[in-house]
Amino acid sequence: MVSMSTPTPTSTAPDPTPTGGAVGHAAQSLTGQEDKDKVASMLPRSETPGVPGDENQLSEHDLYQLAQQLKDEEANKRPLISSAEPLSALREEYTNGTGNFLEKIEWLMSQGWRGLRRTRGDGDCFYRSLAYAYVERLLFADDQDLAVASTKSILEAKLKVLEQVGFEKLAYEDFYDAFVEVIDLIVKPNQHGRKLDANGLLEFFQTPELSNSAVFFLKLVTSAQMRSEPALYEGFLMNPDTGDPMGVKEFCERFVEAAGKEADDPMISALTSALSVPVNVAYLSNAGFSDSSHKVNFVEFQSEGTGLSGAEPITLLYRPGHYDILEKRADDLETRPDRK
Amino acid sequence: MAMMSTKRLQKELAELNGVKGTPPTGISLLSADNLASWRLELQVLGESLYQGETFAVEFRFGSRYPIESPAVVFVVNDKYKAPVHPHVYSNGLICASILGNEWSPVLSVSAVCLTLQSMLASCKEKKLPDGNDAFVKTAPLDPKKVRFVYDDDTV
Repeated sequence: MVSMSTPTPTSTAPDPTPTGGAVGHAAQSLTGQEDKDKVASMLPRSETPGVPGDENQLSEHDLYQLAQQLKDEEANKRPLISSAEPLSALREEYTNGTGNFLEKIEWLMSQGWRGLRRTRGDGDCFYRSLAYAYVERLLFADDQDLAVASTKSILEAKLKVLEQVGFEKLAYEDFYDAFVEVIDLIVKPNQHGRKLDANGLLEFFQTPELSNSAVFFLKLVTSAQMRSEPALYEGFLMNPDTGDPMGVKEFCERFVEAAGKEADDPMISALTSALSVPVNVAYLSNAGFSDSSHKVNFVEFQSEGTGLSGAEPITLLYRPGHYDILEKRADDLETRPDRK
Repeated sequence: MAMMSTKRLQKELAELNGVKGTPPTGISLLSADNLASWRLELQVLGESLYQGETFAVEFRFGSRYPIESPAVVFVVNDKYKAPVHPHVYSNGLICASILGNEWSPVLSVSAVCLTLQSMLASCKEKKLPDGNDAFVKTAPLDPKKVRFVYDDDTV
């Protein structure tokens, strides 16, 4: 994926304006040959009219447009969140791969993990995966009424935190309403007398406006959690582009509240604790101590709250740069055709 | 599916035209005939290089606002000029990360205006951005079609 809009800050200043951020200049040119090569290598030559043999002859503007177009097409190929597919489908993808991903996926299967629910790789995948799994867990709770009621009271309490850290009410209330509305549907039928089922949940999360409402509500909750307890997070925040340490407020404005910014450990831990929900992340990567083994390293993000009694933690699968949802439930998988 | 955007813009409008809430000081609504494009007048408060000057800012909203950023430019016409500022091109285009890749739906029209006020208030030298003339000659009028590089965190 080509990122055409990476900011290139040269320094970090403490909190200069009410909303932080940075200013700069317009760049009509791409940053360098490397970008051009990347874009050029992505061009389907035979299908690109007017592209001369030498990619250097493309104008900067053409390259930018093409890169954007490829990015959009790529994004549109995959729904925001997909039906669950059997984990064996993921294994297929790695049959010819290097590393020990194959063995690790088999190990996951041997531990009872059956399915993978993929989210679109748009930078919001952690929040979207978590939001989906968070609601799905209520849908499958033994006592739905209790689960929904306790979850709603947790979410409602977050509104105060959002207000306390200075967010404008109009900037978050619509997101909150949309998210709570879908949760309510689990126990309260809508005007057509229908409650939320697994299909309805999937539909909600595939509808950009609604799906993004859930994502942004969770992003704002994450930010508010970090801003309200800065001491817990301060030492762990750095600019992902430069590696420079950053203050909580500026970090939140630039890398939590903004769209399409990947979540990292501090955000996961903040959100876990804000929602009182335990989250386990299975790291499917070649890095770390589990490298030589065929096991997958699970990292547990525990919250202080008790959460839902008897409910399993939310489990996400991390592959470098991306989060999807891991599922043990199989009912979904057998009735649906595999989707890729 | 632009319900969300309509709902949000109606709330913002009610605040800006004083129906519900009060607009920030130094910012007043010039026109908002529809929910697609608004103009606001903006003054920089207190002592600054722009004392006594009045600017107009145009916001254009897509159906995916507030998830996606609005297009924001300073109005340049017979009545208004863009402020002379190192990050504002003389055609009105503004280079600020919050209007680009650091946009967040937590920002509103008021919040953007406040940021612009603050950006101008803290300016130490009135000068045009480097390469202004060349850029203005070729630049698209839609800021969303320009790729900005945000390399100055000091403003």
